[in-house]
Amino acid sequence: MAHRWGMAVDLDLCTGCGACVTACHAENNIPTVGDLQASRGRALHWMRVERYIEGEFPDVKTKYRPVMCQQCDAAPCEPVCPTYASHHNDEGLNAQVYNRCIGTRYCANACPYNTRFFEFFNSTFEKPLHLQLNPDVSVREVGVMEKCTFCVQRITAGKDVAAAAKREVKDGDIVPACAQTCPSKAITFGDLNDPESRVSQLAESPRGSKLLEDLGTRPKVTYLAGAEFA
Amino acid sequence: MKSVYALFDTGEAAQRAVNSLRSAGYGERDITVMTAAPMEEFEFSHIGRHSYQWYIACGGGLLGLVLGTWLTTYAETSWPIVVGNMPIVPWYPNIIVIFELTMLGAVLSTVATLIVTAGLGRRTPALYDPEVTSGAILVGIGTPRADGDVEQILGAVPGARVKTV
Amino acid sequence: MIRQDRLTRTLLKPLERPGVGWMLVVGVLAVVVAFGGFAWSFMMWEGFGLTGKRWPVFWGFLITNFVFWIGISHAGTLISAILRLVNAGWRRPVTRCAEVITAFALMIGGLFPLIHLGKPWLFFWLVPYPNRRLLWPNFRSPLVWDFFAISTYLTSSLLFLFLPLIPDFALIRDQSTGLRKTIYGTLALGWRGTTQQWHRLETAMQIMAVAIIPVAVSVHTIVSFDFSMAPVPMWHSSIFGPYFVAGAIFSGIAGLIIAMAALRRVLGLQEYLEPIHFENLGKLLLTMSLLWGYFTFNERLTAWYGNDVAEMNTFAATQTGSYSPLFWTMVTVNFVIPVIILSIRRFRTITGCVIASVGIVVGMWLERFLIIVPSLGHKFLPYSWGTYSPRPVEIAITVATFAAMALLYTLFAKFVPIISIWEMRAGAHTQESAPTRESVPVDARLGESHS
Repeated sequence: MAHRWGMAVDLDLCTGCGACVTACHAENNIPTVGDLQASRGRALHWMRVERYIEGEFPDVKTKYRPVMCQQCDAAPCEPVCPTYASHHNDEGLNAQVYNRCIGTRYCANACPYNTRFFEFFNSTFEKPLHLQLNPDVSVREVGVMEKCTFCVQRITAGKDVAAAAKREVKDGDIVPACAQTCPSKAITFGDLNDPESRVSQLAESPRGSKLLEDLGTRPKVTYLAGAEFA
Repeated sequence: MKSVYALFDTGEAAQRAVNSLRSAGYGERDITVMTAAPMEEFEFSHIGRHSYQWYIACGGGLLGLVLGTWLTTYAETSWPIVVGNMPIVPWYPNIIVIFELTMLGAVLSTVATLIVTAGLGRRTPALYDPEVTSGAILVGIGTPRADGDVEQILGAVPGARVKTV
Repeated sequence: MIRQDRLTRTLLKPLERPGVGWMLVVGVLAVVVAFGGFAWSFMMWEGFGLTGKRWPVFWGFLITNFVFWIGISHAGTLISAILRLVNAGWRRPVTRCAEVITAFALMIGGLFPLIHLGKPWLFFWLVPYPNRRLLWPNFRSPLVWDFFAISTYLTSSLLFLFLPLIPDFALIRDQSTGLRKTIYGTLALGWRGTTQQWHRLETAMQIMAVAIIPVAVSVHTIVSFDFSMAPVPMWHSSIFGPYFVAGAIFSGIAGLIIAMAALRRVLGLQEYLEPIHFENLGKLLLTMSLLWGYFTFNERLTAWYGNDVAEMNTFAATQTGSYSPLFWTMVTVNFVIPVIILSIRRFRTITGCVIASVGIVVGMWLERFLIIVPSLGHKFLPYSWGTYSPRPVEIAITVATFAAMALLYTLFAKFVPIISIWEMRAGAHTQESAPTRESVPVDARLGESHS
């Protein structure tokens, strides 16, 4: 059966450390834009940790929510792209084709989660950061949209390894950079079409909910939280 | 046989000339009337009225409709890409493109018909006098039946300036 | 020497050799336009980051200008097509001014889908052309609908402008010699003015008038679909289609009034562009202002009662928050001032109409801005809210578009009579011949002569 990749993020385990953000940058050749451009809102955090602070000192509660592209099944970013750069592939991922993107930025406007980013300038990687570039991922030029791909390069690599060993992809074979790096193992990734996989079980959990579910986007990331978060 | 025409300054005089020519036996096809602006209130302006332009415009629109339907369905089925949980050939948005191409077809066919049936863009010079655009009305015969025939008829109307080409 | 009557003389006078004043105006405007072009080139060279766009407000001044100019282009359609169809006589001196605005506003507005692209050199991927890679554009995307709508409308408007120009080109051809005669003669397509040609031309104009009205309505509706097809607070509203069309006609008439007043003053056309024309247009403008107020009230009341969380944040941002100065300015200049000026007959003079129109042009530009930016800045996740401020390249491009409009108009008025001479002549005929019709016995039976 075809794969259907999904993710579960446990908000009770998330400490808001931001290692997932850094890992995503490292894995996907995302440039750091510098403090001037970041102050102008051009930072490219495919994975970001949203921070909400409640209450007055000293009864302050901080809540963290890592937000990345939700790979929606009814993605509003897909029908609006004039060149099919943003489309749905047969494993349920919202694929972004950099070569086909002409930069109308309509998809970014349509995304309710604001998880799409635009390359405002050509990427620069100051030495020695250029040594750290991932050869499996392209470096995007100016004028294209980009976003979290669920580390599609790792998915493809995992499928290739399994095919070469003449077996199916096992749960746990493919780990995106954010899931690999999270110190509290808050992020789980896997095949939602596999009923035995950890992510399928977490998706059914009573602690689970989806972000902005009432918009009808049918996201594939399940957020798990206890009563106090909701 | 030279073409003969006369220039008139008023619509009434031109109408008289046309009537004279008609009673002398010249038919609608032979008489040419040129004006600087359409003069609907005079009968001579009805020469050459009948046309199929509306039908051709509708035909052009139909062509546009067919083109639009073909373009959208062919493009969508030749590269079937799933976007936003929509069907591969969705009729709702296709209607928009089909509508635009229908209207474009109607407009282009209208203009093409105009250029062809009004004889615009022809290279061979035809019967004409530059005073027409300044307000004179030209009434003439392209191929008179006999020499001097038309000059006489037109000259009989007061205010005529008869010329030959 | 071909004799010229007063009508021809006055209306052909602007086509004479340009004086120093004209050259100066054209020069200044051309510099401003060139500066805008330079700003865009610089933007393409350095990167899109030179604009003020940011996460999450990815559309700003450039799309505002796009919608604004496409809106202005609806002037010609309303005046020319609808008034032609209902045979309103007062339209005669006004039609060409209006059609010219449409053509140029569409050309300027149609540039913006190129200017705002991240990779403008690949704009042709929006065009469904056969290619070896079997790539087709996505017909489900409103931007592809935009391409079809705007190119259909631009083609139709240019043809709608050109067809009634043919007899006037023939007039100029007959009055000129040498190179001028050749050029105008080519443009006139050998027009002679036979009754058959007049019938064909007028029928063609009728057909096009009927065809172009639905196209114009569809164009701005499709532009509104750029917004309403996305699930963004205050965008995803079914009122956007009619709202945008009404707003477009509104801003178009305002633009027309300003252009006509300027022409009247500069070219000395007081005899042809009379106060009654401005009064009639002013009454139309009043109707559109009331309609605009009605739509705006509708949209906002529904949002307020709906009490949707995300929508209310955007609503509050425009009503009482950081965008409120712009919002209330917009309401004042779009609704309050025009209704006052245009409904009181004493104020509905040429000056009054122009003042109202200038306010409306500003107000409608603000309306486009306020539709785009506050909504994008206040979507569903508060962590990702943001504000937008324009940077020099966008301001330069905006100013350059206004200069481009003025420049194109000035150039047009120098080479083409801005009031349709043959239509004025035809109108004069209809008036003159009415009392004398009884004295000319016109018989439908051919072959009988009457003296």
